[in-house]
Amino acid sequence: MAEESFLTDDLLRQLISVGEVDLLVGIPSLNNVATIANAVAAAEDSFQHAFPRERAVIVNVDSGSNDGTPDAFLNASSHQNSRGRGLTSLRTGHRVVARCDTPSPAAVFRTIVATAELVRAKACAVVSPASPGLSAGWVENLLQPVCRQDFDFVAPLYARQRFDGLLVRQLLYPMSRAIFGRRIRELLATEFGFSGRLASNCANRDAWHEASIQDSPQTWMAATAISSDFRCCQSFLGPKVRPAAGPPTDLVTAIRQAVGALFWCAESQQRFWMQRTGSEPLSTFGPDHELTDEPANVNLERIFELFRCGVAELSPILKTLLNPDTNTEIQHLATLDERSLCFDNTLWARTLYDFAGSYHHALLNRDHLVQALVPLYRGRIYSFFLRHASSSPAEMEADSENLCLELERQKPYLIERWKKPSEVVI
Amino acid sequence: MKNTILRGLAQAYENLVHMIADFLPRFVTMLTIILAGLLIAFLLRKILRSILHLTKLDRISEQAGASHVLRKAAMPSMSEFLSRSLFWITLLGFVLLGISVLRIPELQEQIAHLFQLLPQIVVAILILFVGILAANFLSRAALLTAVNAGYRSPRLWSGLVSFIIWILTISMALEQIGLARQTVVAAFSIVFGAVMLALAIAFGLGGRDLARQTLDRYVGNRDREKEEEPSPL
Repeated sequence: MAEESFLTDDLLRQLISVGEVDLLVGIPSLNNVATIANAVAAAEDSFQHAFPRERAVIVNVDSGSNDGTPDAFLNASSHQNSRGRGLTSLRTGHRVVARCDTPSPAAVFRTIVATAELVRAKACAVVSPASPGLSAGWVENLLQPVCRQDFDFVAPLYARQRFDGLLVRQLLYPMSRAIFGRRIRELLATEFGFSGRLASNCANRDAWHEASIQDSPQTWMAATAISSDFRCCQSFLGPKVRPAAGPPTDLVTAIRQAVGALFWCAESQQRFWMQRTGSEPLSTFGPDHELTDEPANVNLERIFELFRCGVAELSPILKTLLNPDTNTEIQHLATLDERSLCFDNTLWARTLYDFAGSYHHALLNRDHLVQALVPLYRGRIYSFFLRHASSSPAEMEADSENLCLELERQKPYLIERWKKPSEVVI
Repeated sequence: MKNTILRGLAQAYENLVHMIADFLPRFVTMLTIILAGLLIAFLLRKILRSILHLTKLDRISEQAGASHVLRKAAMPSMSEFLSRSLFWITLLGFVLLGISVLRIPELQEQIAHLFQLLPQIVVAILILFVGILAANFLSRAALLTAVNAGYRSPRLWSGLVSFIIWILTISMALEQIGLARQTVVAAFSIVFGAVMLALAIAFGLGGRDLARQTLDRYVGNRDREKEEEPSPL
């Protein structure tokens, strides 16, 4: 009952009537009236199909919807899924609504984690109602490894369009793999699973208030699971489809949230990773990270122009953050013709490590520092597009693996940058 | 006549001795006060320097970009700058206090006026300090936003933000000291108004296309925007 003061009285009353449970599915929401019923159906179908004997609760943490999402959640009809073939759960399913005053993902996830601790759930899953592909199979695949195989953290794996999720494939995964030594592909997923043990471990930490992880607390939970030696695994869910409604994911916002959180996790858990080398694969349920061959509709000319202008305009800032050799190479790249740009793995690895080192030494306001990475990331993905315009998914995957190995190989460079601050040269 | 001259000389000598006897203790007092002030100023500088090192002000100043401005002006680091400022302000205070002990009527009024000004000078320095921090931080934020959003002439936006904050800061600092108050306010109003008017005219006459593009970008067809970059997550 450590979180009594954090959870609202209304939520506590609902949880008292629920009592202890075996499974918990958390559904964060904000104006998801059109899709919340599908998320409820997915959770309940998975309970009926795969966990008929377990006590379960679905918790909707709403961040202030004004379209009646919580009511839609409570009124969503329970139905028998064809997958269940007439099976019914032997236990009563519960639904609980928590209203979160602070609309940050950290506050929402903290409510789910604290609730899981309070009801002593053994296995928990968080799913996003905005994910178009969400199904009972997803919930089942997130809960099974915790429930049946005693894992503590389940990261999802998705099938992606071959040029989608490049921030994950070109930055988050390779860098987190090299730093923390565990091959978790999706650190910033909207779906993941965790055990009651991990929930208890995370629930009472101060990190929930840290500004850097307010928008991506799942990255911190994954890093905590790795660094605290919890058992981690990955589970394949299905195709990652972009939601049809809502604004497109903004690159700058995504980098500020994802990279800021990753750098902060690296700093807060440096004792864990400083002495480690290489990386360990994780147990994986289902296929490992599929790439599909759909065409991409991308304005390459604009990406190149944003890279070239960004490097030129931010040159004083880059000079402060980057090693002089790295900076010289990048400045040279920005002068090249758009057909000859090649931002190779070695340069990209050194760039990322220079930024991580500068972040650690706070050579610049940290939010500004992360934003200064955006033009360089654009240069890297432009180069990736050029190189893989006609590559097969397997060739692209092999190239991504080479990047991971390059980052692992250059980890001593990161440690050197981490320990010794660069001289400020402005 | 000889006696009158001798009496006059004696009187002058007596006056001189009396004046010296009267002035010398005050002069010694002044020197003592200045020496004590020097010692106190040294101590205060040392204490402030240690405190600022502990609070890592230099790092904060580096992050905010204020150190960059100081280096450009061939000035020391932020903690050193503030420590030295405290030293000189303290010493100046004691020197003025010492001079006032001399009781020279012409100086008394000026010193009293300077003493009244001293707190305002400190506040003005603080205003400048905060202004430097704000100008660098916000101009860098503007630069990064403009660069990442792909706006044209990002340094122009950044420079404009910096210029406006500098003008505002300098006006506030000068007004705090009370230096040509009306002139400063009038100058600020004219410069600020002129910049805004120039921008409005420039945007209205020359930037109609840009305005349309900007509005189109934000409230127009979002699908086009969606296609420009692949989904990062």
